[in-house]
Amino acid sequence: MMNGMPLSGVRNVFKIGVTMPEKPKLAVYWGASCGGCEIAVVNLHEKLLDVDAAMDFMFCPCLLDTKKKDIEALPDRAIAVTLFNGALRTGENVEMARLLRRKSRLLVAFGSCAKGGCIPALANFTTKDDLLNTVYLDNPSVDNPARIIPSGTTSFPEGEIHLTPLLERVKHLAQEVEVDYYIPGCPPESHQIWNVVEAVLSGDLPPKGSTIGCGTLTVCDDCDRVKEEKRITAFRRNYEFYPDRTACLLEQGLLCMGIATRNGCGAPCTKANMPCTGCYGVPEGIQDQGAKMVAALGSVMDIGDTTGLSEGEIAGRVDDFLATIPDYAGLFYKYTLASSTLGGRVMR
Amino acid sequence: MKIGVYFCNCGSNIAEKISSAAVAEAASFFPDSPYVTIVDFICSEEGKLQFEDSLKAEQPDRVVVAACSPRDHEATFRSCLTNAGMNPYLMQVVNIREQIAWVTEHPGVATEKAIAAIRGAVCRVRLQQPLEKKQLEVCPDALVIGAGPAGMKAALSLAEAGRSVVLVERTPFIGGLPVRFEDLFPAMECAPCMLEPLMGDLLHGEHPGKIELMTMAELVEVTGFYGNFIAKIRRKPRHVSLHECIGCGECVEACPATTMNEFNSSASGRKAIDFAFTGVLPNAPFLMEEVCVRAQGVECRACKDACPMGEDVVDLDEESTVVERTIGSIILATGAGLYDASRVAGLGMGVLPDVYDAMQFERMLSSTGPTGGEIVTAAGAVPSSVAIIHCVGSLDEDHNPYCSGICCRYAFKFNHLVTAKLPGASITHYHRELVVPGKEAHMLLRHAAGNSSTTLKRYAAISDLAVTRDDSGTLHVCSRGEVTPVDMVVLCPAVIPAEGTDRLSALLDVSCDSFGFFRELHGRTDAAQSTLKGIYLAGACQEPMDIRSAMLEGMATAGHTLAGLQPGRTIEIEPIAAEVDENGCAGCRLCLSVCPYHAISFNSEQNISHVNAVLCHGCGTCVTACPAGAITGHGFTNEQIMAEIEGVLQ
Repeated sequence: MMNGMPLSGVRNVFKIGVTMPEKPKLAVYWGASCGGCEIAVVNLHEKLLDVDAAMDFMFCPCLLDTKKKDIEALPDRAIAVTLFNGALRTGENVEMARLLRRKSRLLVAFGSCAKGGCIPALANFTTKDDLLNTVYLDNPSVDNPARIIPSGTTSFPEGEIHLTPLLERVKHLAQEVEVDYYIPGCPPESHQIWNVVEAVLSGDLPPKGSTIGCGTLTVCDDCDRVKEEKRITAFRRNYEFYPDRTACLLEQGLLCMGIATRNGCGAPCTKANMPCTGCYGVPEGIQDQGAKMVAALGSVMDIGDTTGLSEGEIAGRVDDFLATIPDYAGLFYKYTLASSTLGGRVMR
Repeated sequence: MKIGVYFCNCGSNIAEKISSAAVAEAASFFPDSPYVTIVDFICSEEGKLQFEDSLKAEQPDRVVVAACSPRDHEATFRSCLTNAGMNPYLMQVVNIREQIAWVTEHPGVATEKAIAAIRGAVCRVRLQQPLEKKQLEVCPDALVIGAGPAGMKAALSLAEAGRSVVLVERTPFIGGLPVRFEDLFPAMECAPCMLEPLMGDLLHGEHPGKIELMTMAELVEVTGFYGNFIAKIRRKPRHVSLHECIGCGECVEACPATTMNEFNSSASGRKAIDFAFTGVLPNAPFLMEEVCVRAQGVECRACKDACPMGEDVVDLDEESTVVERTIGSIILATGAGLYDASRVAGLGMGVLPDVYDAMQFERMLSSTGPTGGEIVTAAGAVPSSVAIIHCVGSLDEDHNPYCSGICCRYAFKFNHLVTAKLPGASITHYHRELVVPGKEAHMLLRHAAGNSSTTLKRYAAISDLAVTRDDSGTLHVCSRGEVTPVDMVVLCPAVIPAEGTDRLSALLDVSCDSFGFFRELHGRTDAAQSTLKGIYLAGACQEPMDIRSAMLEGMATAGHTLAGLQPGRTIEIEPIAAEVDENGCAGCRLCLSVCPYHAISFNSEQNISHVNAVLCHGCGTCVTACPAGAITGHGFTNEQIMAEIEGVLQ
């Protein structure tokens, strides 16, 4: 693919790529991530050939065989764009983030892990020790009589193995290195990746620090369901009923995060009759997606007529209502805990 | 950016606890190193001059005033900024008196707190932007709903001031409840006589052109907002022209159909076309379509033929119409009703003959009522003993926990009237509490208490009382084993909101209290205003009330209308209000239901929400709720609030 011939007819778009003797270098790297972002890149399908025609796709451990030492060997700022996905969970993640920052002209936090910590950052609700205990010792399916928790350097007859240390807390990319742009999504939608590639190649980029490859509104704008005034009497979960296909899912009692989530995805989840889980993160101008969601829901939860009720009775109604929300943190901060005001569990 | 901090000592109020010198020293490390000026009493005439002169000399870009609560003097300081040629919204007031000096024991701690609060204000004020008040043209006219004492007084007062008023009344007549009474407490005045001049003025007085009276009419829809409401009113057909009818009653004589008259507590009959009661105003009958034989398909035009005033007075084919009126404010004067006394078990209401509630008894006492004012039992006998039971459903957790306020007074009025009409009849009052407020009503109490044929008996709970009837037809009031035989029992039920108050509340979005009365903006300081701007409350629709208070409230609501909306003058719109960023709104419609003032509407074509700045109180609820961050609270932006918090926490 690296040497693949560009398709005819699309060359006009990539004049730079064609006329310059050396194509700009493109790197895609993963930190603590699931690989979904790479799949989103591969989901460009035949457009990947256009990418390859325009750029030198030279580093991607998931897809290509380039090694870390190859990157180290490059001059600083040799890579035009690095799309860095995944959160920073380990020392190795941080080391690679710093290396790629040094070698790249544009470092892009690619996907919700790099942008806001995403699922890996939910570990910030516990301590590193608790995490390791759960994984290696207390898990019912683990058989570890020697109570070994892998860490540090281990010697074998063949030599030593060095395990990278876990950070105390999961970080998002910008908490360790300077980030030029952010692309949201878990993973980013392929058509938006393509939009970003085009923008990078044309040089038509917004001010540094912007979030790109997305819209400027919320998912509600992408979602064509019928919205009405919202008064929610209780939350329900997907398994409990078949939602109406045309009415707003939130109004039907599903905890749809679309209201407090940046748009640009095209609302594929609500189109599939599933509530938005918020993967495109905070909308423009919002600091904290979870807090915003709580504020918004708090404003429309309907606990009924409270006239004549005592304070205790009203509090009881609120508690009953809130009991219909299964997991506040995992729900409201699934994609943004590391970048939220809260950040995680407050350690004392 | 040049920032001025003005520190008020408030005499010793602030100076005693907070060191202005320490604040001044700390301020040099605040962002933009503001200058600090110390004033002794910045709200005094001298202080204000000093403040203004300093502003003119220093010409700061932003101002922080560290003084008392902004509730006290924010407006004062804003005027000073205006006088000094500054935009008044470029100032932040820090309450270092009530919130710090008065509540902090140790001066060192108080000074530290004050420094933090002022630092927060400095950080915030840097982000504040000049704001301008907007002007809006308004309609000065009013809609009054309910033509009882409160509504009539409001309408007349407004008409006297030259305002046009639409007066909507559900019944076919004006005068409300008391026009159906004989005499009124506390001075035993004749009710119709007392109300007559007011009603006459309303119908034929100096300003009749200013008052458009619609009887048998109900409000069906209101859109718009303070200063520019559009009301739709459904007028039910009266079938009699108010303009041409002379009230001769020939049609009534001719009418073949009869029914019971609800305006006489159904204690007498009426014709399908008839007056509500004798002496009613407007002096014209009305036709009950459902009673008229034409409803059964019978071809009849007896009433029309009997009319000496011609063909056009009675219109048998008149239909219900909906009319539309533009008004600037709405006065709710829908009055009260009586609690259904049959819901209080054991008192015989609706079960035993000769047990009446207060309204039925008022009609019996009235010379325009079913008995022409005679007190007679169902069997036609003159009673020799009457029991009057107070607090039926009032001051009672099982029914209505509040005191209805007027019952004791009218109960003693009953005592007075029974004594006058039936000399020698024994009267027993069963009461829980005795409530006779005001400077006149004690005379009624004294009269009853001094009456040798009157007995006052106190009971603890209404369940202690039972009314029974023996085989001879005599009623017995049993109170904890003590049995008193009587010929008639009068119950004084709780005063409750008039029927339909809940519908009106839903229609106008005016909130009600837990008893169903309209809720005041503030029970003491703003009792004649509802929670919605431009909708006022007069009379017993907000709580049990006597005629004196209802009339005064009618005047009060007229005052609000006159003060708020003046012909040719615009209303000022406070700029501290919410605004939707049209480019940021994704159309989720979440904000629509959160606004307590119904200031937010949705534009379906553009798919965006809109905040009506006239209705917005600047509370910020929608700003918080908007999940897209598309609503800005001017004067309270997220950035300003975050800057203040960060400034305080530094």
